[in-house]
Parts: sequence; structure tokens; C-alpha cells
Amino acid sequence: MGKTIFRDSKMKQPTLFTKSTLPIPAYILPVLLFLCSCTTTEIDEFRQSSTSINNLDETIVILGRRQNNNYETEQSFVGCVADVVSRGENSITVVDEQEFLDAMFPFFEPRTAPMRTGHLEQLMSMDVAAQKLEEFGIEYIVWLDGITERSEQSGSISCTIGPGGGGCFGFGTWQDDSNFEAEIWHLDSQSSVGSISTDANGQSYMPAVVIPIPLIARVEANACNGLGNQLKNFINGT
Amino acid sequence: MMQMMQLIKGHVFQNPDAGRLAGIKYSLLAMVLLLTACSATTINIEGTFPAPLVQKLPLTVGVYYDEAFSNHSFIEINDNTGDDQYIINSGASQIALFNTMLPAVFEQVIQLDSIESAASMSGIDAVFVPAIEEFQVGLPQKTRLNVYEIWVKYNMRLAQSNGDYIADWVMTAYGKSPEETFQSVDAGVNDAANVALRDLAASFTLGFSNIPEINEWLRSQDVMKE
Repeated sequence: MGKTIFRDSKMKQPTLFTKSTLPIPAYILPVLLFLCSCTTTEIDEFRQSSTSINNLDETIVILGRRQNNNYETEQSFVGCVADVVSRGENSITVVDEQEFLDAMFPFFEPRTAPMRTGHLEQLMSMDVAAQKLEEFGIEYIVWLDGITERSEQSGSISCTIGPGGGGCFGFGTWQDDSNFEAEIWHLDSQSSVGSISTDANGQSYMPAVVIPIPLIARVEANACNGLGNQLKNFINGT
Repeated sequence: MMQMMQLIKGHVFQNPDAGRLAGIKYSLLAMVLLLTACSATTINIEGTFPAPLVQKLPLTVGVYYDEAFSNHSFIEINDNTGDDQYIINSGASQIALFNTMLPAVFEQVIQLDSIESAASMSGIDAVFVPAIEEFQVGLPQKTRLNVYEIWVKYNMRLAQSNGDYIADWVMTAYGKSPEETFQSVDAGVNDAANVALRDLAASFTLGFSNIPEINEWLRSQDVMKE
């Protein structure tokens, strides 16, 4: 019998950066506000099994994958997702990544971390490791893998400084693209229960008329919020 | 006569040589800045390492860190000028790592002043001597990758207290750290080195008993069962 696959909501969350006052001519303002910092976030969920968690004594840990040669999942992003999951309604207790890695050392280092759920069986067969996981009350292990890449950089800004003062003039723009995937493992059944992927992208602008005005698209922050909230709902089974 | 009034810590006093002193002061400052610009940056690797979560082997092991190991230093050369660019001192953190790792792997660890001193001490099952054979650094400015990288090749030796050979094996450690905005080279290299040292500790603790010569010796000592 095959596994049921749910393709959950495909969300688009355009967000606009707003600032009440900007030191630029009035006619440019609406154009800039229209263009600036528009971020699109797309989230896909793939569920293989039902999930639930008892928030009184069960916890989860969110770990970044650091096996890739060209990049590694930033600890700050892992911390951001953990923060979202552990706050608000239906919050889940998340064990701090570094605290977990130090306590479980050397079993979750880049070279030794389990890459497939099959490796969990091997890990749990070691008494010291199994006992420590039980102490933490870990119910689910979430593996985060991804990166934010910058592309399509164009424009230039030149700044000068002299005895009478200084200033900048020019225009710069770039695109940020965040791609992250969370794979959720259930420790007791030693199986993968699903995955959530997020793809967020947005264009940032930096016009400079005397002073540079950064109009930054919060791409990674949106990816973090989207992924964190979806993960919280996924594990709670809601 | 030109006089200069100088205000220092709220006290006003007259200093007739102030102009000359200021000239000397600025000349010295310029020289220091010039020398600093040309000299290599020293990076001292610092970090703390967790004790590995493994079952101890019932052995008493003597460990000897030779001069080259305990004061290990690597010099990264500037490709353009051929001058020393960075001096990376990792000896202290290497010893800190081994002093944390070995007591977690063996029942008792004794630090030796020399390899020969083990022969006169009773109860030592084996003598362990680590050595660094190669040390490489990858800086984003040279590799064009957005990561700092450290790669270290070790030679590990294990002998009996009387000097008889048990095992001699090579281990490599690799660590990388993503380049961050406004991050100094020192911090990037330090982070990558700490990851590399953790990598070594991870593969040492989990792989020690699986090295064929050591496995055979452990069986002969009844430490491991067939």
C-alpha cells in the first residue's frame, strides 16, 4: 500500500517595505514603493505520516546540514526557524542546536551525522547516544538544508568626500533567492515523516542621492517565518 | 616666541617644545602604521571543545606532545608580494582538544615529558604521540569561495611503554566556515579551525578501535572481544 502524499498550501506572500518619510523627490516615491522590497515566498509541504507532539515533555531539535562542499546551512537561519517554532500559538520546545551538538558530540558532526533514517538505528543502538536523546526528550529531528544566494547585481554608487562635506550618487539593485528544505525525522519510528521546502525571492534597491537609501527585501527573514510556521503546524498535526 | 597652550586632564600649562614633540609623535605614528601595514597578521586559534560521548576503553595511556606539535604555527604567504600574510598559531588549541578528547576515550591519561619516561612508569598500557604533517588554509580572497577552510593532516603513533610499535596511522581533519559580512579574517579562520578540530575529534573517537593494528592490539589486551 502506497503512502499518501499531501501537497499542502502553495502560499504567495508579497510584502511591501514601507517607510513614512524618504528624502527623495515626491514623484519617485510611489514608483520606488511599488518596486522596492517585494518578496515572494512559496512553501511546499510533503507529508508521509501523521504527526503529533506532547508539548509537556517532548521536544524537537532543528539542525543545519553542513555536508555540502559549496555552502553550509547558516546557523543564524537555523536559530531563526527554531525561534519561530518555539513562539506563539501551538509553540513547540526546541532544543538549542549548539547545545545539542555539544551534548551529542561526536554523533552529529558534518562527517558523522546520520544522512538517512536508516543510520538512526545504528545511532540508537549505542546506549550513550540513546540515553542522551532520551534526556533531551527528542521526538523529532528536523534537518534544514539550504542557502540564500545573491544574483542579478547591477548599478553603481559613487561617493565623494571633501572639506565641505560628502555625498553619494547612483543606484544599485540585486536579487536574493532563498531555497531551504526541512526534512522531519521521527525518532521513535526511525523514519522520515515528511518535508517542507521554501523558495523566497525578492529584489532589493539602493538609490543614493546624497545618502544611500537601502530598500532591502527581507527574503531570508520571510523564508524563515514561512518555513517556521509551516513546520510548527506540520509537527502539531494541524 | 611662539608658545603653545595645551590642555591635558583639565590642567593648563605652557610647553615651548610642544611643536617639536608633536612632530616626533606624528613621525613615530606614521612609522608604526607603515610597519603594521607590512607585517603579517597573527591569528591565535582559540576554542572550547566538548568531551566526546563514548564509552571509555579500560586503558592507561601516556600522551606526549613534542615541541613542533605544542607550538605549531603555519604561515600563509601573500601570493602577490611573497611576504608572510598570516601566522596561524594552533598549538595551544590542538593540545586543548587532545586533553579533552583523550580522557573521554581512555580510562586514564598521563601527560609525559618525554617518550622515554613511559618506560620508567608502571601501569602505562600505551604511549600516544600525535604530530601535524600538513596544514592548509583556504581564504575566500584566494579561493573565490564564500567560505574559510582549514585542512590538517595528522600522523598518529601508538606504541607500547617499552617503545614497541603498535600502530602508526594518518588522519585528516577538515573544517569550513561561511564568510559573513563585516567578519574579520581572524574570526573566519578561527571558526573554520574549530570545525576542523571537532572533525578530528569526531573521527578519532569513533574510528580509533576500528584501525586494524589497534583493533588487533585491543583484542590481544582483552579490551575488545572477538
